[in-house]
Amino acid sequence: MGYFLFRRTLGFVLTLFAVSVVVFAVMNVLPGDPALTILGLDATEDALAALREQLGLNDPLLTRYVHWVWNALHGDFGISHSFGIPVAGLIGERLPMTISLAVSGMIFTVILALVMGIGAAANHRKPGDWGMMFISQLGIAIPAFWLSMLLVLLFAVKLRWLPPGGFAGWDDPVAAMRSLILPTVALALVQSSVLARVTRSSALEVMRQDFVRTARATGFSRRRILWRHVLPNALVPIVTIVGMQFAALVTGTIVIENVFYLPGLGRLIFQSISNRDLPTVQALVMLFAAIVVTANFIVDLLYVVIDPRLKARA
Amino acid sequence: MKTRLPVNFLIGAVLVALVLGAAALSLVWTPHDFAQMNIKAKFGPASSTYWLGTDQLGRDVVSQLMAAARNSMTVALAAVLIGGSIGTALGLLASAIGGWVEDLVMRIADIGFAFPALLFAIMLAAVFGPSLTNAVLAISFINIPVFARVARASANQVWTREYVAAAQAAGLNRAVISWDHILPNIGAAIIVQATIEFAVAILAEAALSYLGLGAQPPAPSWGRMLSEAQTLMYLAPQLAIYPGLCIVAAVLGFGLLGDGLRDITDPRLSRER
Amino acid sequence: MIELQDFSVSFKSGTALRQASLAIRPGDRTGIVGESGSGKTMLAMSLMGMAPAAADLSGKLVLDGRDMTGADDRGWEALRARKVAMIFQEPMTALNPLRRVGDTVMDPLRLHLGLSKAEARARALALFEEVGIPSPVERLRQFPHELSGGQRQRVVIALALACDPELLIADEPTTALDANVALRIIDLLVRLAEERQMALLFISHDLAAVARATRDIVVMYGGDIVERGPTAEVLTTPRHPYTQGLLGARPNPVAEPRGADGKRPRLPTIPGSVPTLQDLPSGCRFSGRCPVELPVCAGTRPGSTLISATRLANCHALKQEVSA
Ligand SMILES: Nc1ncnc2c1ncn2[C@@H]1O[C@H](COP(=O)(O)OP(=O)(O)OP(=O)(O)O)[C@@H](O)[C@H]1O
Ligand code: SF4
Ligand SMILES: [Mg+2]
Repeated sequence: MGYFLFRRTLGFVLTLFAVSVVVFAVMNVLPGDPALTILGLDATEDALAALREQLGLNDPLLTRYVHWVWNALHGDFGISHSFGIPVAGLIGERLPMTISLAVSGMIFTVILALVMGIGAAANHRKPGDWGMMFISQLGIAIPAFWLSMLLVLLFAVKLRWLPPGGFAGWDDPVAAMRSLILPTVALALVQSSVLARVTRSSALEVMRQDFVRTARATGFSRRRILWRHVLPNALVPIVTIVGMQFAALVTGTIVIENVFYLPGLGRLIFQSISNRDLPTVQALVMLFAAIVVTANFIVDLLYVVIDPRLKARA
Repeated sequence: MKTRLPVNFLIGAVLVALVLGAAALSLVWTPHDFAQMNIKAKFGPASSTYWLGTDQLGRDVVSQLMAAARNSMTVALAAVLIGGSIGTALGLLASAIGGWVEDLVMRIADIGFAFPALLFAIMLAAVFGPSLTNAVLAISFINIPVFARVARASANQVWTREYVAAAQAAGLNRAVISWDHILPNIGAAIIVQATIEFAVAILAEAALSYLGLGAQPPAPSWGRMLSEAQTLMYLAPQLAIYPGLCIVAAVLGFGLLGDGLRDITDPRLSRER
Repeated sequence: MIELQDFSVSFKSGTALRQASLAIRPGDRTGIVGESGSGKTMLAMSLMGMAPAAADLSGKLVLDGRDMTGADDRGWEALRARKVAMIFQEPMTALNPLRRVGDTVMDPLRLHLGLSKAEARARALALFEEVGIPSPVERLRQFPHELSGGQRQRVVIALALACDPELLIADEPTTALDANVALRIIDLLVRLAEERQMALLFISHDLAAVARATRDIVVMYGGDIVERGPTAEVLTTPRHPYTQGLLGARPNPVAEPRGADGKRPRLPTIPGSVPTLQDLPSGCRFSGRCPVELPVCAGTRPGSTLISATRLANCHALKQEVSA
C-alpha cells in the first residue's frame, strides 16, 4: 500500500514537472519577443530593453524556468501586463466562478449519466435503452457551445425564463443560481453522454455476473440489485472515465464561460490572449493542465478505495 | 451467406458521403460565391435564389456552409494525418524496441494527455497569434498520444504471432518487421481510430474557430459562423441553427462510421450495444 | 410443497425443459443428474421463478398451494430466500466482491425479516457457526477474495439459509471444490436439511455425491425427465437405457474407489454427444444415441412406465419389456 502510494505520487509529481517544462518551453523558447509583443511595434528600443531587463528576459532560459517554478510554488505567478496586478490575484478573483461551474457541471453530469446508464442497462434491448443510446450518440456529436446557443435561444430569447448570460456574483444567490443553470446543463448534457454509455456497458457486464444471480435468488428487487450490487461493481471503469472527463469538463468551462460571458478563468484566458498578456496565459495554461493531471491522480487513488481487492495487490 | 453491415456503419457512411460530397462539390461549384456580400439582401429568408437565406452581410448561407465543410474536412484530415502518422510511428517504435524506450514513449504520451487541444491552441495563439495553422497543430498534437497508445497496444499483440517469430528467426531486423508485418496488421485498428479521431477533430476545429482560435475571417468555418450568429441571436436565430446541424451531421457521421468499422473489423472490440 | 406439472421452458432455438413433472415435499432430499445441457439448471431456476426472460414457459408451478405459473418478479421476490433458496456452482463469483461477507448475509435478514443491525449480526454469526465457518467473528468482516473456495461456499450456504427456506436447491455446489472439501460440504448440506426439516434438491454431475446426499433421484436427458426413483435403487439397478449408459458397467458407483487424483470418477461418457437444442429428436430425446432403440422411438415420445411402486422410467423398450 505504501509502495503503491509512493509510486503514484512520484508519477504525479514527475508528470506535473514535465507539464511545466512543456508549458514553459512553448511559451518561452519559441521565437517571438515578449517585450515587443507587450509594448507594440512603435516602442522605443530603450523601453524594450528596459522591459526585457525587468521581465528577466536577458537571463538564461534555465534560470528563468527555475524562477518561474519557484515563484509559482510560492503563489507568485508574476505581474499581469494588461491588468498591472499580480496574476495570482486575478486568478483568485475568478477562481470561484470557474469552480462553481465545474463542480455543478460535474455533479449534474454524474447524476445524469448514472441514471441514464443504469436505466438503459435495466431496460436492455427495450425502447428505453434504444432511446438512451440515440440521445447519447447525439450528445456526443453536439458541440457544447452550440448546445449552449440553442438553450439560450429557447430559454432566454424565446421563453425568457433564464438570463442569456453574465454573472453578477454570489451576493444574490438566487440570481447566481439562475445564471448557472444553462451553463451547467450545457456542460453536463454533453459530458454525461459519454459517461452514460460507459455506465451502461459496464453495468451490463456486471449484470451477467454470478453474484447478481445470487442476489436475485436472495429475493432482492431489481431496483435494489441495480443500485446496491451492480452500480458499485460497475464503478471502476466509470471512475476512469470520470477522471478523463473532468479534464474535458475543465476545458469545457473555458468554452462555456465564453459562450455565457461568465467572469471566470476561461474568460480571463481569452482576455489575456487578446491582450497578449503572456505571464497570465502561461499561469492559466499551467493551472488548467495541473488540474487535469491532479484529477487523473485522484482517480488512480480512488480505485483502491472502491475495490478492496486492489488494496491487497497495491 | 450475405453479411449484414451494421446499422451504425450505414448511417455513418451516408452522413459522411453527404458531408464529403458537399465539401468536394464546393471546390468546383457553390450556388453563389460564399464571400460575395449583398448588403441589400441581408438577413434574407430562404428563397429559390438563397436556399437557406443570407447572413448579416447578405452572403449566401448554403455557399458558406459548403465552403466551411471543405475547411472542416481539410483541417480534420491534416490533423489526423499528422498526429496519426507521428503517433503510429512512435507506437510502432515503442513496441519494436520495448524496455525502457517503450516505457519512456508511453510516459510521454501520458503527459500529452494532460493537454486538451484547447489548452495547446491557447498557448500557440498567445505566442503566435490565432490562426488556422495553430489550430491544426494543436489538434495534431493531441492526436499523437492517442495513436501512439493504439498502435503500441495492437503492435504488441502482433509481435507475439508466429509469423513474426518466423521473420525474426529469418534474421530480419525489427525495423523491417515493423514495416512489413506489424504495420499492415495493425492497419485496421489505426483506420478505425483515425475515423473516430476525425470526428473529434471536426468538433475541435469548430470549437477553436468559434472561440476565434481557428479559421480567421473571411475563411468560412462552421464554428466561426456560429460565433457571428451568436451576437445576432435576437435578430436572426436561424443563422445559429444551420452550421450547428452541419457539425452534428459531420461528427455523428464519422463517429458512427468509426464504430461501424470497428464492429466489422474486430467484433471482439465492439461494445455490447 | 412445491410441484411442477407438465412444466416446459422453450426458447426460439428449442425446448430446454419438456413437460417436467416433479413434486417436492418437506424433508425430501432429491438429486438431479444428467449430462451437461440436459436441463438441470433450467429446472432449478424455474423453481425459483428465475427462468431466463427470453424463455417461453408453459405448464403449472404450484408453491404451497399457490399457482405461481404466471407470477411476475414481484410475486417471486417475496418467496425467494424465504420459501426457496439456491446455492450455485461457482463460489468464487457467487458473492459480491465489494461487500463484506457478513454484510452480504445480513442483507436478507434485515430486508426480509426486518431485523435490526445488531440482531442481524447475531443471526449471521449463528449461521456462520452453523455452517462450520471457523472464527466467524473475524470472517464477518472479510471480503470474498480473502476466503478459500470451501469457506466461500459455506458463506453462500449461510446466505441461502438466512431466511429459513423450506427448500434449498444446490446446483452443482461442489463441482468447483476439491474432493475433500466437496465431501464435507455435501455432509453439511445433508445435516442441515435433516436438522432444519428442510427439503434439499441436489443437482450434480457426480453420482457419488448424489448417492451420498439424496434419498430420491431424477435422471434428466435433453430436457426430459427419463427416470426417477429411490437413489440407491436407481443407481444399482438402472432401468432406462440412458441411466444405464450414465452408470456404465459399474453396478455400484458408491463403492467405486477414488482415482489417483483423489476424486471419484465422473460420469462415464456415453458414445456420441448431446445434440444441441435445435437438433434434439422430437420423440425420445435419447434416440440416435440409444443402444436399444426401436423404430418408434425417434418420432414418438415414450410415456411413463411404472417399474415398481416408487420407480418410473420413460422408455418404449422398457414399456414393452414390462408389459410382456
Ligand atoms: N438463455 C438461453 N437461451 C437459449 N438456450 C438456453 C438458454 N439458457 C440455457 N439454454 C439451453 O438450455 C439447455 C439446458 O441448459 P441447463 O443449463 O439447464 O443444462 P444443465 O443440465 O444445467 O447443464 P450443466 O451440467 O452444464 O450445468 C442447454 O441446451 C442450454 O443451451
Ligand atoms: S425410448 Fe427408445 S430411444 Fe429412448 S431410451 Fe427407450 S429405447 Fe432408447
Ligand atoms: Mg447447470
